[in-house]
Amino acid sequence: MGANFESKYLMNKFFIKKLSIISFIFIPIIFLWHPSWLGFLGVQPYWPLFWLLPYSMINGSINGLIFGLFLGLILDSLTLDNNLTQIPGLIFCGFLFGRIKLHRDILVGHFRYGLICSFGSFLCGTLYFLQILFRNFLDINSLMFISGVKIILAEVFLTGFFAPFICSQLLRMFKFSRRELQ
Amino acid sequence: MLSNRRTSTSRWWHKKKNWILFAIFIFLVFVRISKGSFYKDLYYFISKPFWPGKFQKEIVLESIDQEHLIKLNLLKKDNTRLRRILSLQESSNNENILAAVISRKTGSWWRQIILNKGSKDGVETGYIVIGPGGLLGIVDNTSLFTSSVTLITSPESKLGVWLDRIQINGLLVGLGDDYPRLILYSKDADIKVGDFVSSSPASTLLPPNIPIGIVQSIDETFKSKKTAKISLLAKPHVIDWVQILKVNI
Repeated sequence: MGANFESKYLMNKFFIKKLSIISFIFIPIIFLWHPSWLGFLGVQPYWPLFWLLPYSMINGSINGLIFGLFLGLILDSLTLDNNLTQIPGLIFCGFLFGRIKLHRDILVGHFRYGLICSFGSFLCGTLYFLQILFRNFLDINSLMFISGVKIILAEVFLTGFFAPFICSQLLRMFKFSRRELQ
Repeated sequence: MLSNRRTSTSRWWHKKKNWILFAIFIFLVFVRISKGSFYKDLYYFISKPFWPGKFQKEIVLESIDQEHLIKLNLLKKDNTRLRRILSLQESSNNENILAAVISRKTGSWWRQIILNKGSKDGVETGYIVIGPGGLLGIVDNTSLFTSSVTLITSPESKLGVWLDRIQINGLLVGLGDDYPRLILYSKDADIKVGDFVSSSPASTLLPPNIPIGIVQSIDETFKSKKTAKISLLAKPHVIDWVQILKVNI
């Protein structure tokens, strides 16, 4: 019985310590799930930023950059466009988010997550859209431009809307996990 | 005399963390090259309890019957025309695979759906996917349990189509919104709102006469080509069950 208790304790400890990595695995699952009831104009929030912001804030720019690259690699593998990539946007966001310091005022912090994620989503969306425009340089259509801008704006709005709820919870979890680690 | 030599012999490759990160990187590159097969299969098992139920399936089958009636009339016409020409192109056979949509991206940058049938069930790249109403897209990638479909609304999609009323071939191009554009390389083409668009008998990607959509509006003639906005008969954002057609062209 003692051994059983000890193994359970060790397992719990392992899960708490690796919380950020375990949650990382679920991002592609949510990206694939793409729940339509959470959408606006058929567009979804940009899910990877919700994880990347708290992770980079706690672990710094270099870790943010590395995990931005990892996220980009996984998400690119799940989409069918072979010539377009999400990696530049996510790397840049990971690096940028790592330079942001935690704010003492909880309320300001919450709203700040929304603004930062909106900016990140705008950045990633714009970089992706520029790739599409560059690729279809010869037959750029004004309709393609309009639909691209619509997607970016809807994504920015949704990401900024959900970020305060999700990021603050994840940040709390990661902080707890880090404290356990120390 | 003080020595200038480094007292520490620590290098980046001595750190275990760096090697772990390198191993993760290699693993993720493998995932990227394999087009996320591992993740798609994992998602297959996780989403299994939430797949659409039987009730939806019956509604879909009813719609499929209606669609078949339209298709039958088109096929009769096509058959008569082809008999005259005497050089028939083989249309698809009846070996269809019924599949459920387990992931859907229809409103964002990526216009794709993932189905719960993969290479294990005999699905191959290039097979076409139809839903109640008509054509949805083409299978672009398969894993063991799943297959990813590029929708005809995707900017990646370019298909040859046929306008039955004016007997002319055109090109259907996805623009990343819900309405693909039809391009006719003839400014004199007498295209009208309400014209029916189906897959072209001359297409090398699709079997002929698969219903696709209806002309919703006609844009202004530009140089030597005419473009029109097409309203799709099959709505990818609501369809839960689809059929995968084995293509023998």
